[in-house]
Amino acid sequence: MTEPTSDLAIEVCGLRMSYGGRQVLRGVDFDVRSGEVFCLLGPNGAGKTTTVEILEGFRPRTGGSVRVLGLDPADQQGSLRERIGIVLQECGFPRQARVGELVNIWRAYYPAPRPLDELLAVVELTSERDSQVRRLSGGQRRRLDFALALAGDPDLVFLDEPTTGFDPESRRRCWAAIENLRSLGKTILLTTHYLDEAERLADRVAILQDGRVQTVGSVRQVARQAGVPTTISFTAPHALRRGSVAMPGCLHVEVSGELAVCRTPNAAVALRELLAWAAANDLGDLDDLAVETPTLEDAYLRLVSGGTR
Amino acid sequence: MPLALLLLIGSTTAGGTVPGTHVKAQMIFVPSILAFGVIVAAYVNLGAKLATLRHDGVLKRIRTTPLPAGAYLSGVFGSTAATTLAITACTAVIGWLAFGAVPRVGGLAEIAGGLILGVVCFGSLGLALSSVARSAESASPIANASYLPVAIMSGIFDPTFSVPGWLSAAVGLLPVRALAQILQQGYTPVEHAPLSDLLVLLCWAVAGCALAAWRFRWH
Repeated sequence: MTEPTSDLAIEVCGLRMSYGGRQVLRGVDFDVRSGEVFCLLGPNGAGKTTTVEILEGFRPRTGGSVRVLGLDPADQQGSLRERIGIVLQECGFPRQARVGELVNIWRAYYPAPRPLDELLAVVELTSERDSQVRRLSGGQRRRLDFALALAGDPDLVFLDEPTTGFDPESRRRCWAAIENLRSLGKTILLTTHYLDEAERLADRVAILQDGRVQTVGSVRQVARQAGVPTTISFTAPHALRRGSVAMPGCLHVEVSGELAVCRTPNAAVALRELLAWAAANDLGDLDDLAVETPTLEDAYLRLVSGGTR
Repeated sequence: MPLALLLLIGSTTAGGTVPGTHVKAQMIFVPSILAFGVIVAAYVNLGAKLATLRHDGVLKRIRTTPLPAGAYLSGVFGSTAATTLAITACTAVIGWLAFGAVPRVGGLAEIAGGLILGVVCFGSLGLALSSVARSAESASPIANASYLPVAIMSGIFDPTFSVPGWLSAAVGLLPVRALAQILQQGYTPVEHAPLSDLLVLLCWAVAGCALAAWRFRWH
């Protein structure tokens, strides 16, 4: 333990879970720092849901140690619930409720609730205050989910696949609400299937596979650890296509049709080589030169399907 | 619905006597409809309400709050009890104003005890029902199909309704007739052993609670 405990919202160490004889979690380790958005990724069946349910106190664990806001979720459920907010994937509302009423009812469940106006402002539902819940759109309902989860002014918010099935506009507004949560200083544990969502929102991600954490770190670190090369592309000059000029030997360049693509672990060195080569061979500026840094999606696919076993 | 039934049955039979006895008909059918009201409000309504809350995912969401499960369910149960008492109060007042059915002074304790035990018993059976029903849509039909035949055979709507002896004995073990008879006892002395009726209600209350606790699901 190099960091003081108070800086960590969640500490998971050697977490194990078996259903019957089947091991679902085989020693999961990760920490979530206070105030960060941490995203748990992984293919279906990797153990994401089980991990989150253990952290939320819904499920007892088989082994390992877990601390959430300094509490053990298995036997301090009551005090934990007062300090966390949970947005479950599919969760309904009472049929006749109005937005403001419902949020107020939820506020009454917590010892130190956040003011109603503030809650509605954070999730951008201020003008829907007197609307019937059943008249809200899908995106608005999801933001109402957020408002209910925030009612008790929690330190930590769990978001389980918050934008699954949304149109792009609803997703953006949902993301905006999550950014608002972050700016309130809340710690957020996010699970999602959308890698662009994780890339956009998460400070750090962990990739869970086969009941273990494969990689953890910022999106950049994960991409680097996955060994995904940076892609440099440009329009192949005529001389190169005719074969009258050879590529510099130290670079791996593939030419297909008009497009030349160079994949490299070190973009700066490769670019310098490439430009020097172009100048030396009198090729002028390389047209449509583009440098693409690896995305989380590239890293994820490489780590998860590109095959550890 | 209990009020409509009260007026319907009352308008056809009030003023007469129960065949073979000197007991005025309204002294039997008014408390019978009281019992019916308890069953509808506590068993059918609570069962359907909880099944709907579960189906809509509201119970699941409640579970994410610090509100203890017991406190929430007690609240739902309490609101059901209040509704039930309001319905029975209306029924009793109309039974008195329209048909002159007034409880015995000495029978108030029986009525109060019967109502409380009735609400607990049918309420817990409603909880159990909501957990057994697969969906919100099926809860109401299951509730109606389970209590209506028993209510008819128990003579709730027509005290002279006759069934074979073995069936009558079986119905006697069910809570519907037991509750009706306790309430009837509050209006007019009838021939039966009130203690055994109380025992039947109590047993069903315990069974209902046990089944509800065993089968209760959050989602």
